Amino acid sequence: MSTHSTRTGLLLAVAALLFFLCPLFVSRYTIFVLNLFAIYALVAIGLNLVMGYTGLISAGHAGFLAIGAYTTAILSTSMGWMSPLVILPIAGVLTGLIGFALGIPILRLKGFYIAMVTLAFGVVVAEVVLQWSSLTHGDDGYKVPRAVLGGFIFDSDVKLFFLIQPITIAMTLIARNIVRTRAGRAFKAIRQSEVASETMGIDLAKYKTAAFAVSAFYTGIAGGLFAYAVGHISPDSFSMSVSIDFIAMIVIGGMGSILGSIIGAVILTGIQHALSELPEVQTLIFGIALIVFMIFLPKGIGGKIPDLMQSILRRNRNH
Amino acid sequence: MRPRRIGWLFVVSLTFLTLGFNTGASAEPGVTDNNVVVGCSNSFSGPLAFTGTELIKFGTELYFNYINEKGGINGRKITLKTYDDAYDPTKAVSNTKKLVMQDGVFCILSPQGTSPIFATLDFLAEQKVPLFFPFQGAPLQSKMVFTSFTFYPKEAEIVLHWLVEKKGFKKIGMIYQDDKYGYLYRDQAQETLKSMGMQLAALESVKRGAIDLSAQMAKLGQADLDALMVILVPGPAAMVIREAKKAGWTKTKLVASGPVTDEKFIILSGNEGEGVWGFSLWPDPVHSQKPAVVEYRKILEKYAPGHVANRYSLFGFFYAKAFCEALQRAGKDLTRENLIKAAEGIKNWENGIISPVNFSDADHEAQEDGFMVEVKGNVFKPISGWLSLEKGKLVERPLGE
Repeated sequence: MSTHSTRTGLLLAVAALLFFLCPLFVSRYTIFVLNLFAIYALVAIGLNLVMGYTGLISAGHAGFLAIGAYTTAILSTSMGWMSPLVILPIAGVLTGLIGFALGIPILRLKGFYIAMVTLAFGVVVAEVVLQWSSLTHGDDGYKVPRAVLGGFIFDSDVKLFFLIQPITIAMTLIARNIVRTRAGRAFKAIRQSEVASETMGIDLAKYKTAAFAVSAFYTGIAGGLFAYAVGHISPDSFSMSVSIDFIAMIVIGGMGSILGSIIGAVILTGIQHALSELPEVQTLIFGIALIVFMIFLPKGIGGKIPDLMQSILRRNRNH
Repeated sequence: MRPRRIGWLFVVSLTFLTLGFNTGASAEPGVTDNNVVVGCSNSFSGPLAFTGTELIKFGTELYFNYINEKGGINGRKITLKTYDDAYDPTKAVSNTKKLVMQDGVFCILSPQGTSPIFATLDFLAEQKVPLFFPFQGAPLQSKMVFTSFTFYPKEAEIVLHWLVEKKGFKKIGMIYQDDKYGYLYRDQAQETLKSMGMQLAALESVKRGAIDLSAQMAKLGQADLDALMVILVPGPAAMVIREAKKAGWTKTKLVASGPVTDEKFIILSGNEGEGVWGFSLWPDPVHSQKPAVVEYRKILEKYAPGHVANRYSLFGFFYAKAFCEALQRAGKDLTRENLIKAAEGIKNWENGIISPVNFSDADHEAQEDGFMVEVKGNVFKPISGWLSLEKGKLVERPLGE
């Protein structure tokens, strides 16, 4: 076992090294796409915590993304000296608090009513951004200043790569730990049966609002990174279809799976980028993929991978 | 076990990434001896898919096909690379980055929509990539950008001057879309009327995609207006007409903005648009007998038989032509800098479609005028000459139809 874990550690280290060396040998556009992959992976992880793990449908995560993005943009403008390592957590916490507040009315609701409330939330956020133009510049859009960390300016996609990727990796590891703790087990129990988990002594109100808060925190941080990566945000960037895309990510990737969230985000964003030349085909593939996944892989790719890997490993061992 | 699997996943996906993407670089991006690559991110799906498709697929691309068949410009064929952004600014940014950093396009031509376009401006400026003739009407001034049709605030100013000075209207109201397009119009209208010692007699807004305007129209009906400026898109604007008919408005003249003055608007209003005024940027794409418009219809018929002519494909066609004019003037030694200089050298370019185009190093606006039309027999008939503003004064020149 010990040699095994050393080998695993070594492999991970090589992978990480290779990954952080990739700006040397892939195009700048690829780096930009990798950054978007990471940002959407964070959103998908956040959404998965509330939807995949806890079973509360959220159709308004674009709203959280917008709050994180605008908080970051506004803070970076008014307090340009502030490090992104301070601004991003503020954006995350603020979004988390709003997620917590949204979680309270949701305690009274079930199933699709939650979807309706969160859907409305997403629309309301976009509307507030549009109307509160003294703060958000409304429909003109907001030009996001560059992130500056101790005099170092993140003024290219490659430089941002070294801000976005480490944060995503760290937060992915944290999420992996969250779902293994008492809270994570409580989330899963709530999804399976609210009545049963309440009987077991799980405080439904506490864990449901916590799920929303943590989910919003993740999406808020992603929003901040999104603002830096895209450089110009406007209410149109956070439309309802963006929220729907997020749901599709975790449906395809796998509900209740951290790895699945990443895979879903990469696949969906990847399809959009690879097929932006052929919009009709893109919509077609997207639609068919969703139906196929719902029927044949209800647990998504992330839910299937462990089984697949296991069977491959078993076969190898037998030979 | 799990971390090891993730490790492998990383290695495998990295290999794919390295193999999958690669960039080509040359002296001047997108230019070879016999080819020039131009890029465009536009709406081919989403709310503005119709406009985007007509604009690019039946306008710009059609004209380039026609030019390429004749041997191209200065021996270079033009390749248009297009991506769909579905009116999403984020996608517009990624598409533009892809066009510039991966496809290495020479310049960007005719993207659509204020939000998506403005989201890409900083990146384009940073990379020193020229942007030609975006399809949008928010004021935009930059060394690297050449704009297309008359900006919305200027349009508002022209229309108001005409209504007040030529028609003697006193009580003017407005119904506008609750977004940047609407605000640009509204704010300019308030300012212009103020300078004339007047003000908007009534003002109502409409949410994008609204399907019921009865409340707004009821309020506007009480204001006893001489004219109501309709700053919407064709669908809701047609509703305004129907509501006005239903409520029996007789005194109030409906005046459509540039984006509303479109054949689709007449069709949607279902024969009830008779007598409505509008601000037109273009000669009638279907009926005009101007030789250049006839040529447009001929080329459209050749490459897309049976496809109906409209203002969007005419836009694409016309600005592709204007772009080729600049390309021609830039000569064999084609660089981004040369192209901008060549475009700035375009003076009094008689094109047979809009007023002669003038550019200079301070003026990058292709069009700064328009004319008033009235719906007669389901066709927009001109009721004024080309209207423009010179030093705040309304100037009228003959249409030359």
